Amino acid sequence: MLDDELSVSTRERDGVAIIDLVGDVTTFAEEKINTAYAQATGQGARHILLNFRQNDYINSAGIAILIGIVTEVNRNNQKLAVSGLSQHFQKIFRMVGLAQYADIYQDEEEAVRGFAATAA
Amino acid sequence: MTDPPSDNGPAERVIELRLPSKLGYEKVAMDTASSLARRMGFVPERIEALRTAIAEAVTNAIEHGNAHDSEMRVLVMLTAREDELVVRVADEGRKQLGQEQTAPTPRIEEALTRQDKGGWGIWLIRELMDEVEFTTAPSGGNQVRMVIHLER
Repeated sequence: MLDDELSVSTRERDGVAIIDLVGDVTTFAEEKINTAYAQATGQGARHILLNFRQNDYINSAGIAILIGIVTEVNRNNQKLAVSGLSQHFQKIFRMVGLAQYADIYQDEEEAVRGFAATAA
Repeated sequence: MTDPPSDNGPAERVIELRLPSKLGYEKVAMDTASSLARRMGFVPERIEALRTAIAEAVTNAIEHGNAHDSEMRVLVMLTAREDELVVRVADEGRKQLGQEQTAPTPRIEEALTRQDKGGWGIWLIRELMDEVEFTTAPSGGNQVRMVIHLER
């Protein structure tokens, strides 16, 4: 009833692997997020976008999962960005320091344009 | 020794929840607290901060204090005052929180190379709330008392 409220899916757009995260990002999200990231990486993705949607609950366990993704992104020489976060979670990402490792965009459109600009 | 601050007010302004020690139930505390805070007149940004702080406190109580023992309860007490909301979260103390665990200073540079990338919960509570105090609950468990001020 209360434990697993996240759906994760992966798609590609203009050379960016977009991982849509819809719902809560907590300890229950670990396997889904890591699997989606591994799948995108296995398909050769260089640019990864974590596209948050309807995430009114991201907790410290979720933040730890995302730090794990940053570690992998650095190891694999990929580029990571996030989009769709509420103002509150944008602030938390800055406080924690995640913003140093992932560009924060308001939405998917802006993120895809951002990736294109850095690749140019 | 000074007496701990009394959070007792008129009874109709105190809400108590007794939650099972199962992850997910922290969302009930988050929703209750944000509903109360909204009625008290807190702005959305502060309500978001409160939701995060309560989530972390209750999650800690479930995972650490009560060690996921579903027989144990997490007590959440919300006291609405004229100019602030006081939140107390207490567990039954299967595991006591060490002094050093109540004031962590995690750094992402270190987390990136560590196997365990967590440890942000109590730090977030301290960053987001106006007053934070760790004490022992009447039950003998861990208790965190957090206060968020109402700015009009």
